[in-house]
Amino acid sequence: MKTLLGLLLVVLLAACTTVATKKVDSGDNTIGDRLQVNIEGPWNQITAPGMGPAYIWTMEGLPVDQLRIYSGIKDGEVIHDTRNSNLKSFTFRSNMQSDELVSMFEGMLTRDGSTFQVTKVEPSVFGGGKGVRFEYAMVTKEDSLPLTGVGYAAVNNSELFALLYNAPRLGFFPRHQARVEQIARSAKIIATPVPAKN
Amino acid sequence: MNRRGFLRAGCGCSLGTLPLFAAGQEPWQAPARFVRPDTASDEGGIWAAMDREETKLRRSPFNLRDPQLQPYVQDIACRLGGEHCPDIRVYLVRTPYFNASMAPNGMMQVWSGLMLRVDNEAQLAAVLGHEVGHYLERHSIERLRAAKSSSAIGQFAGMFGVVGLLGAMGLVAGMYAYSRDNERDADRIGALLMNRAGFDAGEAAKVWGNLMLEVNARPNGSARNPLFATHPASEEREDTLKELAASLKGGVTNEDAWQQKTAPHRRQWLQEEVKRGQHEESIAFLTRASTRTQGKADYLWARGEVYRLRAGSGDLDSAVKDFQAAVALGGEPPEAHRGLGLIYRSTERAADARASFERYLQLAPDSADAPMIKNYIQELSV
Repeated sequence: MKTLLGLLLVVLLAACTTVATKKVDSGDNTIGDRLQVNIEGPWNQITAPGMGPAYIWTMEGLPVDQLRIYSGIKDGEVIHDTRNSNLKSFTFRSNMQSDELVSMFEGMLTRDGSTFQVTKVEPSVFGGGKGVRFEYAMVTKEDSLPLTGVGYAAVNNSELFALLYNAPRLGFFPRHQARVEQIARSAKIIATPVPAKN
Repeated sequence: MNRRGFLRAGCGCSLGTLPLFAAGQEPWQAPARFVRPDTASDEGGIWAAMDREETKLRRSPFNLRDPQLQPYVQDIACRLGGEHCPDIRVYLVRTPYFNASMAPNGMMQVWSGLMLRVDNEAQLAAVLGHEVGHYLERHSIERLRAAKSSSAIGQFAGMFGVVGLLGAMGLVAGMYAYSRDNERDADRIGALLMNRAGFDAGEAAKVWGNLMLEVNARPNGSARNPLFATHPASEEREDTLKELAASLKGGVTNEDAWQQKTAPHRRQWLQEEVKRGQHEESIAFLTRASTRTQGKADYLWARGEVYRLRAGSGDLDSAVKDFQAAVALGGEPPEAHRGLGLIYRSTERAADARASFERYLQLAPDSADAPMIKNYIQELSV
């Protein structure tokens, strides 16, 4: 038992040491190589092994608030951290309709048993093309914390571009919502470079 | 009972060798009510940790505070607990997985996924009786003492907290799982308590059989879930429970009463079942549930929705059939029309899609996705 707990501790400590934080400055920023956003005020980008394909930003620090940005997710790609293989995986399909995109994100955010309630779904523009905007309310399973969230998603040339932000309902979400909406409005999908002909 | 508990017992029971009591053995008697242990003792520490978890659970938004359903389930647990009734405190927890647990301090959790799955009072009593059996025999205290680690109390208490056994809790659950003997005892005691409380003990085997239907429906069998991976499911369990029931005749099932009491929560629980994304398990469960006498349209809608979201070969056709069957029955959830509209839209049946969406908006004009659906109708009208 002690050996097992010791090993667990070592693994957890090892994981801690590989978490990196990088400041994201105001102005135009390219996410991956396919999505450009303009931000007002700096954010913190968190990177760690196994965090999944989304770029994770935070204003207040994880897990208080979290902005996930997806840039050019391919058909068949899993959209989340895959370290816990015992939980259901959620995969992007390029033929997904708007409601299916929302369901996919809902499934992702409730993998741990958290509750999720979509409070609004509406057509929107994201990345310069047709997309969907949705609002949601969550209660986290881990600490029973009520969160509010907003998401934008669009499929462009069979690739997924999306942005999801959630934060505690009281205080943090209202504080940063306008900033997030501005980022979503500024999003531009960068065309895939055409390979040069020889 | 948690799934681990329910499944583990199957591993330890040998077919044909499980009489309620061995020959010459005294009939089992419940112990006297437990006295709160001294706070300086190890058991006192465990109770204190459980009390803290219970305080969190009481305040948690996952605690389903239904003034009708909670006392009803509490009463079932009380009838099983007999003179221990005043010490049993039942909490209904909104989580769409098959699980119940009982902590050494008397805190009992019953998850919504379990309540959705059981067909009647007797099936619920089978699960709760098993948990009461562990409680009366103080199995969890025995397991924790065996761990001989001061840090174990916190981990152990966490298992009984609101987070329960999901995800990362699997490892911890494995450390403190009940032994096969414990499970065998809890099965025997549970069946006896069911019988004494006037429930049909034959329903216990059905709970197991129904759960196995879902396990076997999984694409990778039981291997994907750690609760099953370490303790492979055994078909013997169902037979063993049937054998136990054969010596405990009589009793009621009270299916109608159970279905009526849980009806106000049915659609919410079904929505949460669909959202789990465990399509194969859900289809197996919903196919079985759609034969129930009450709520048939709801179960058909939910199964249709699972087919629609899975969207495999032939799934959209199956979804349309289920949605149409739900509509034909009447009293269907508005989302059945939404599902039809979305499928018709994707298969370019514009007029049918428009009609379904319009019906959906008639039935649910204030739905969260009304702006999106109106936009679809506009597009389909062009």
